[in-house]
Amino acid sequence: MSTVTQEKAPRPVPRLRRTPIIEGQEAVLIAVLVIVGVLLAVFTDTFMTSANIQTVLYTVAPIAIIGVGMTAVMVTAGIDVSVGSQMAIAMVVVGKLLRDTDLGWFPALVVAVVVGSILGIINGLLIVVGRIHPMIITFGTLNVYRYVALQIFGDQQVSGVPDDLGFIGGSVQAVTFGIPNALLLAMALMVIMWAYMRQWAGGRHLYAIGGDPGAARLTGIQVNRKLISVYVLIGVLVGIASLVQVGSGGLIQQNVGIGLELQVIAACVIGGTSVLGGRGTVFGTLLGALLVGTVSSAVTHLGWPNELTNLFVGIFIIVAVGIDLVRQKRRTKL
Amino acid sequence: MLTQEKETFMRRTKAFVMTGFALATTLALAACGGGSGTSSAGSDGGAGSDTVQVAFVPKVQGIPFFEAMNTGGQDAAEEFGFEWVYSGATTADPAAQADVVRSLVQQDVDSISVAPNDPNSMAPVLQEAADAEISVATADTDAPNSVREYFVSQASEEGIGTALTEEIMEPMNGEGKIAIVSCGQTASNLNAWIDVIEEKIASDYPNAEIVDVVYADEDQAQAVTMAKDLMNAHPDLKGLIGPCTTAAPGIAQAITESGKVGEVFSTGVGTPQAMLPYLESGAASSSVLWNVEDHGYLTAWAGWQVAQGNEFPSDGPFDAGRISGVTFDPETNILLLGEPLILTAENAGDFDY
Repeated sequence: MSTVTQEKAPRPVPRLRRTPIIEGQEAVLIAVLVIVGVLLAVFTDTFMTSANIQTVLYTVAPIAIIGVGMTAVMVTAGIDVSVGSQMAIAMVVVGKLLRDTDLGWFPALVVAVVVGSILGIINGLLIVVGRIHPMIITFGTLNVYRYVALQIFGDQQVSGVPDDLGFIGGSVQAVTFGIPNALLLAMALMVIMWAYMRQWAGGRHLYAIGGDPGAARLTGIQVNRKLISVYVLIGVLVGIASLVQVGSGGLIQQNVGIGLELQVIAACVIGGTSVLGGRGTVFGTLLGALLVGTVSSAVTHLGWPNELTNLFVGIFIIVAVGIDLVRQKRRTKL
Repeated sequence: MLTQEKETFMRRTKAFVMTGFALATTLALAACGGGSGTSSAGSDGGAGSDTVQVAFVPKVQGIPFFEAMNTGGQDAAEEFGFEWVYSGATTADPAAQADVVRSLVQQDVDSISVAPNDPNSMAPVLQEAADAEISVATADTDAPNSVREYFVSQASEEGIGTALTEEIMEPMNGEGKIAIVSCGQTASNLNAWIDVIEEKIASDYPNAEIVDVVYADEDQAQAVTMAKDLMNAHPDLKGLIGPCTTAAPGIAQAITESGKVGEVFSTGVGTPQAMLPYLESGAASSSVLWNVEDHGYLTAWAGWQVAQGNEFPSDGPFDAGRISGVTFDPETNILLLGEPLILTAENAGDFDY
């Protein structure tokens, strides 16, 4: 009986708990970004130029787009480390189609989304049916998908891809009101996902699953269906991000996307998404990606050796995870 | 009650079996994907011990550069009738590469040439191979502190470094700021070329200056971003050098996207098909390379010669099969392919890799 009443509950359900629009870690990140920005404006006369800001924002876009999906996955206490290989498949398929057929950008988008969702469904089904930790499954598919991508490449890089996707690429022309179109796309996706995860019952269910999947199941949430859907979502978003990458240049090399998962997970973790599940926002992830992008560009502008980027990103991750664990401890004590 | 218990038991067993099965599958597939792939070509002898087996381990399998070397090696194998074993890891990881070399030692091939990702960590592995009485060599990148018998050099460090310097200085009229976007920070051949570039510019071009050297690993997107950062950080930058095959097209792409073709010049070590569009648009002035297929051919030829107990002639240039003008320096044990090849919009289309 009780389940029936629950299903009849109106959707979307308004949030009852008071949660500030900007959460703690996000406020800290905004402050850090502002301070870093001010320091760079003072100590260099080249960082705060429109061309450079556009470079940073464009570089951040694909990480932010995939980060939207990764945040949803990590909130359910999952992870997807196969995104780099998914991107390699999406890019080589889209690149070859654009080059060999007169496809145009919209069919390319459809192809990228279909390819991404197929790869996502495979991940989701293996995780739900096999009941194995997503880290293991996606680590497996990371390798399997890379193999598939290399087969499609066929020992030849894809060169001479036409410029159909240039409007979301990294060119100085691909901007609107001074902001790269790719980042505008990322922000649009982010706003939709932010609203869904914050306001909609379905979005809140993701947090419930990450907090305690058993309890979530007992309240009538279709945990398995929900889990598959987040892996499909991240696949689709990888497909979209691959269009942004194809937009930047007519050459796709076989090693594309290697290490991408680490960049995306770094953005999520720095943005306050908990590796233990149940906590995280897409807005935080965008800020995390912006901070990494800003720091790696800043190192060049300051004339420092660029391996310092690794040091800074490493420190950010450790500090962010540290804060998260301290919070978790405090919560369980209360 | 009993049925419930039985059901729970069965469900648990099922889950356990499935977990085991899935895990085994994952590991097996992961081993396939992340480990190594082997392809062999050549005579019909197959794994037979009567055919000479000459192995080559690239830095990473699947990139066009090493695939072109593989093509050259296959040509030599067909011409002279030995077996060519081309086997590498799918990532440029020194540990994965060491595993590939060890597995070739297990297979007891006759000669192994390696393009080491990390010369220092490759040295003990080469020792293991030599202990198994396999002739060992390096190609593409040397491991000077190892037991390698010889190094098949695509071009001298001096030759490549000088060519890169001259190719960037020509469009810049010998003056202005340049920056270098390299790949791996520990790649000794890249670092040696960069040293030569730095020396040449310091000695021959008083009005030119290297403002920064950055490392993008083997990541083209990263090279694009870093080149843009460099152009933004130094608004008067006039030249970019990308001494590796992912950075060369990357910096040319960055110049294109920033709308600075003709304002910022670039050259680098890039493969012909990847560079062709940029050479045609002017985003890249030239590309310095060597005939990669010939380099693979020479590597295979040398392995075959040594496996038969032959020595290289050291009294001036000689012909190695189809390649002429090869030299061998018995002091350093370096087998040199020849002068570098300069690719431009006119000749880059002649190569199909």
